[in-house]
Amino acid sequence: MNMVNRFTAKYSAVIRMTWIQALEYKANSLVGTFAIISGVFIEYLLWKRIFLTRGVSVINGFTFGDLMVYIFLSLVVGQLKSSWITSLEMITAIREGELNKYLIRPISFFTYHFMLFIGYNSLFYLVYFFMIAGMIIFFPGWAFPSLLNIAGFLGTLIISVYLSYSVYFVMVCFAFWFGEVRALIIAYNLANMVLSGQMVPLRFFPDSVLKILRFTPLPYLVDLPVSIATGNLPVERWWTESLHSLFWSVAMTFIGLVVYREGIQRYEGFGG
Amino acid sequence: MVRNLKLFWAFFSNSLTRDMEFKANFIGMLFVDSVYYGSHFLFFSVIFNYVDSLLEFTKDDVTLFLIITFMMDTVYMLLIAENLGKLNRMIVKGDLDFVLMKPVNSQFFSSFRYVNSYAVVSIIMLSGLLGYANHLMGRAILLQNVLFFGYSFMLGLCIFYSVDFIIASLAFWFRDFSMSGWFSHEIMKFSMRPDTIYSGFLRKTLFTIIPMALVSSVPARIFIYGPDIRYLLLQTIVTICFLIAVRIVWIRGLARYESASS
Repeated sequence: MNMVNRFTAKYSAVIRMTWIQALEYKANSLVGTFAIISGVFIEYLLWKRIFLTRGVSVINGFTFGDLMVYIFLSLVVGQLKSSWITSLEMITAIREGELNKYLIRPISFFTYHFMLFIGYNSLFYLVYFFMIAGMIIFFPGWAFPSLLNIAGFLGTLIISVYLSYSVYFVMVCFAFWFGEVRALIIAYNLANMVLSGQMVPLRFFPDSVLKILRFTPLPYLVDLPVSIATGNLPVERWWTESLHSLFWSVAMTFIGLVVYREGIQRYEGFGG
Repeated sequence: MVRNLKLFWAFFSNSLTRDMEFKANFIGMLFVDSVYYGSHFLFFSVIFNYVDSLLEFTKDDVTLFLIITFMMDTVYMLLIAENLGKLNRMIVKGDLDFVLMKPVNSQFFSSFRYVNSYAVVSIIMLSGLLGYANHLMGRAILLQNVLFFGYSFMLGLCIFYSVDFIIASLAFWFRDFSMSGWFSHEIMKFSMRPDTIYSGFLRKTLFTIIPMALVSSVPARIFIYGPDIRYLLLQTIVTICFLIAVRIVWIRGLARYESASS
C-alpha cells in the first residue's frame, strides 16, 4: 500500500508540474481545436461531394451525419493518443545521454514520460471534453446513444492512449541500437493517421487491408473507441474487442520492457 | 540575383555535406516520404472505391494531382521547410542577430540557409512516377503543358512559401509562436485535396485570400487539361500580391524584433 502511495505521489507530481507548463501554452489548444475543426470541415466537403455524386443517403452503413460524427471523434481520439512529440524527446534523451538522470534516480523512464505525455495533453483533454459535450448537447442522438456508450468510450479511450504510448515506446527503444530513429516515429505517425481509421472508418477499407490490420494493434487505437461512441459496434462485441486491446497493451508493455532492458546494456551514456 | 544564386549553391553544398554525415537519417527521411505518399494513395484508393470521379477529376486525374502535390511538398521541403521551422526559435532566442549582421538579404538568408538534400532523390522519383503514371494512363505529354505547368508550379511554390513565411513571422508579434508549423500545416491541408470539392464562397476564398487551391490544384489542372489563361493570370496576380505581403510582414516584423537574449 505504501509503495502504491509513493508511486501515486511521485508521478502525480509530474502530471501537476506539466499541467502548469501546459497552461502557459494555451494557444496550443487553440491550434489543436482549429486542427480538429478544419480536419472535419475538409472531410465534410469531400464526403458531401461523394454522397452527392452517388446520389445515395447511406454508404457502408453510414449516413452522411454518422460519417461526420465518426470523423470528428476520430480526429479527437487520434490527437489525444498521439505521443510522437514525447517520443522524439525520449529519443533525444537516449542519443544525448540525458537518460543518465533516470538511471541514477528512483524514477522509471517509461512511466515518467507517460506522465509527462498525460500532463502536456491535459489541456487538450479539457478542451476536447467541452467540444464533445457541445456536440452531444447541440446534436443529440448523433453519438453516445446511452450512458453505457459514454462509459465504453472512456474505457477504451484510456486503453487506446496507453496502448499507443506503449507502441511508441518500443520504437523509441530502438534508439539504443540505431541512434537516430526519429524517421521511424514520423513514418509510423503518418501511416497511423490512415491505418488506424483516423481519416476514414476502417470498415471502408478493402478486405485485403483489413485482414492484415486485424493482426496489429492499430484497430484498437481509434476505430474501437469511436465505434463504441457512435454505436456502430454491437454491445455484445465490446468485451471481446476490449480484451483484445488489453492483450495488445500488455504485449506491447512487455515487449517494450524487454527491448529497453536489452537496449540499456548497450547504452553508453555520452553527454547528459 | 547571381550573387544570391551563388550563395544558395554554397548553402546546398554545405547542407549536402552535413546530411551525408548522417546517412541513416538521409535514408530514413526517404522512408518517411514513401510512407507519406503511400498513406495518401491508400486514402484516395478507399475514396474511389465509392465514387468514380470528384466532378471533373477522375481517379486518374486525382492520382496525377496527388503526385504533383507530393512534388510541391517535397520541393518545399528541399528549399524552405527546415528554415522556417527554425525562425520562431531564432526570434525568441535572439539568434536572428547573427543573420542581420551578415552582408546578405536577411529574408533570403532566413528562408534558404538550410537545404534538405535528401529531397532531391524524392523529387527525381516523383518526376519519374509522374511521367510513368501519365504514360500508363495513355496520355501524351505535350510540351506546352509541361512548360506552363512548370510556370504554374513555381507560382504555387511561391504561394506556399508566402503563406508559411507570414505565419512563421507572426512570432515577431506573439513573442513565441512555437506552434506556427502546426498551424501552417493545418492551413496547407486545404491544398492537399482536389479543388473540385470546394464550392461557393469557400472556393472563392481558396482561390484568392487564402489561396490554397492555387498551390497544387491549379498546376495539376494545367498538367492534366492544358494551360488555362484565367487560372494562370489569377495565380500570377495572387503570387505577386503575396510576395509583396511577405516583404512587408518581414520588414515590419524586423522593426518589432527585440533581440531577445542580447
